[in-house]
Amino acid sequence: MESRILRPTLALYTVAFLLFLYGPMIVLAILSFQSIDGGPQFPIRDWSIYWYQHLLGMAETSRVSQLPVGDSLIRSIILAFMTTVVSTVLGVMSAEAFRTKFKGSGPAFYLIILGMMVPGVLVGLGMALLSNTLGIARAWWGTSFVLHVVYTYPFAFLVMLAIFNRFDRTVEEASLSLGVSPAQTFRRVTFPIIFPGVLSAMLFSFTLSYDEFARTLFTAGRDLTLPLAIYGTFSVEIYPNIFAFGVLTTLFSFTLLVIYGLLMKRFTAKAARFTGQEDA
Amino acid sequence: MSTLTTETPDTPALSPAQLRERKDRRRALGLLTPGLVWMALFMVLPMAMVIYVSFWTQTTFSVNSTLTTASWERFLSSATYLGAIWTTLRIWAIVLVATIVVGYPVALFIGLFVRNKTLQTALLVACVIPFWTSFLIRVIAWRPMLGTEGAINMILMKLGIIHEPLTFLLFSEFSVLVGMTQIYCVFMVGPITFMLGRIDVSVIEAARDLGASFGTIFRRIILPLSLPGVMVGSIFVSVMVLGEFATAASLSGRKTNLLGNIIVSQVGSLKWAFAAVAGVVLTIIITAVIALALRLVDLRKEM
Repeated sequence: MESRILRPTLALYTVAFLLFLYGPMIVLAILSFQSIDGGPQFPIRDWSIYWYQHLLGMAETSRVSQLPVGDSLIRSIILAFMTTVVSTVLGVMSAEAFRTKFKGSGPAFYLIILGMMVPGVLVGLGMALLSNTLGIARAWWGTSFVLHVVYTYPFAFLVMLAIFNRFDRTVEEASLSLGVSPAQTFRRVTFPIIFPGVLSAMLFSFTLSYDEFARTLFTAGRDLTLPLAIYGTFSVEIYPNIFAFGVLTTLFSFTLLVIYGLLMKRFTAKAARFTGQEDA
Repeated sequence: MSTLTTETPDTPALSPAQLRERKDRRRALGLLTPGLVWMALFMVLPMAMVIYVSFWTQTTFSVNSTLTTASWERFLSSATYLGAIWTTLRIWAIVLVATIVVGYPVALFIGLFVRNKTLQTALLVACVIPFWTSFLIRVIAWRPMLGTEGAINMILMKLGIIHEPLTFLLFSEFSVLVGMTQIYCVFMVGPITFMLGRIDVSVIEAARDLGASFGTIFRRIILPLSLPGVMVGSIFVSVMVLGEFATAASLSGRKTNLLGNIIVSQVGSLKWAFAAVAGVVLTIIITAVIALALRLVDLRKEM
């Protein structure tokens, strides 16, 4: 059978593909341990953690200016948090609305989805033009924030839509007809069922906003967010401190992912315990 | 529910079912309004603004709202700008084909050949993990990889394959293509794997039992069933590549100018009207591409 040749070939190809995906990051991680006098390329003169110290402002004066990560990191986290809250709330509301059939649901669906399709550089330009015309000052917590929601809300909406599609409506109806108030029903019945979806929507929104750059470029005004600070280094010569930064920010993302995984696990474990009680 | 009232809808008294339906619909609209208003104000209105400003008068340092087609005429008669349209389309087409060619065999392996669910999930997660690194960092990571003193040149020289470092690897269109293919490939692998994973294995087994070769099975069963995945992936990749500018800015050494790069540089020199014209052209291209793709696949059905 041909699959005897085909399967190992495809397996080997997949390994090569993963190498293609990970290669640059591995090289970047290795080079982040370059010594003080080494450049952003091979060979490694000497292994050191100098560029990490440099990044965190713990190195003595140097020829390379420090990356402006401190304030911009805090701004990016606050912005991502604001975006997460608003887009998750909007996403849950809209997905809930789509459970009833209504006229115009098709155009409404595509209007929301358009938010993730429109290139960031276009809405960014439009928002900059709009704020110029209306005389509104551009700021990361204003003009950038609303565009971030335009981008992440469709993702939250789609995640919640997938959850609601698998949701058995009669469970809610049973609760309501047994005389439980709508608020209690939402808290005790609806929310536990949709919670994994809400968590995923939040994770999506946070990471997309945290890393969003094209939508922020024209709309952030004077104060930079983290991706803008990195973009600023593109035009000048790069140094290994940006590699060290890449390693640290990746570790930060993984921490978020682990927290998400733990929350998810804890939640499903709790749900399993409830079913166990019912059986007893 | 009395059949009498439902059969005569013109009477003012509505049946409880109709009343409930009406209440549900009103509730749905109420829930949907904030989201739609947000999209109208912060997406539709800015896009309309781009179109409007593209007809404004551009002076050296500012724009004013006197309507003119001067910016359009200048854009459409300039070799630089028309070249940017051509570059954008060329890079888009190459990257799209590259992501399909590179990604499809991976999706085929994960979706069809790996039947162990745990391994399947593990492989998909492995594909998604690089997505967790900042986009700009992933772009810049290609510099130490492709540079004249980069990893690839170093390895090739050590192996004795080349004696002079290859210079076309970085700061060329090649590096932009490689970078974009790596970054956007995942968006192709995901949807195709999803579609392939849904194929009923018994269908393939039946075809095999009836004597079909793998080539025939692939052409007649696997490929047609995976096409919606290819289309969804193509929409993702197209939208992202057409709106790109950061990869070209970082890896091409200013040699590759996409429409996105034109917009960024025009805004940088306060030429808002020209930036808006480039924006409208980009919008037209993306709309055409999405419209074409949506004619071939119903996005709402596939999600």
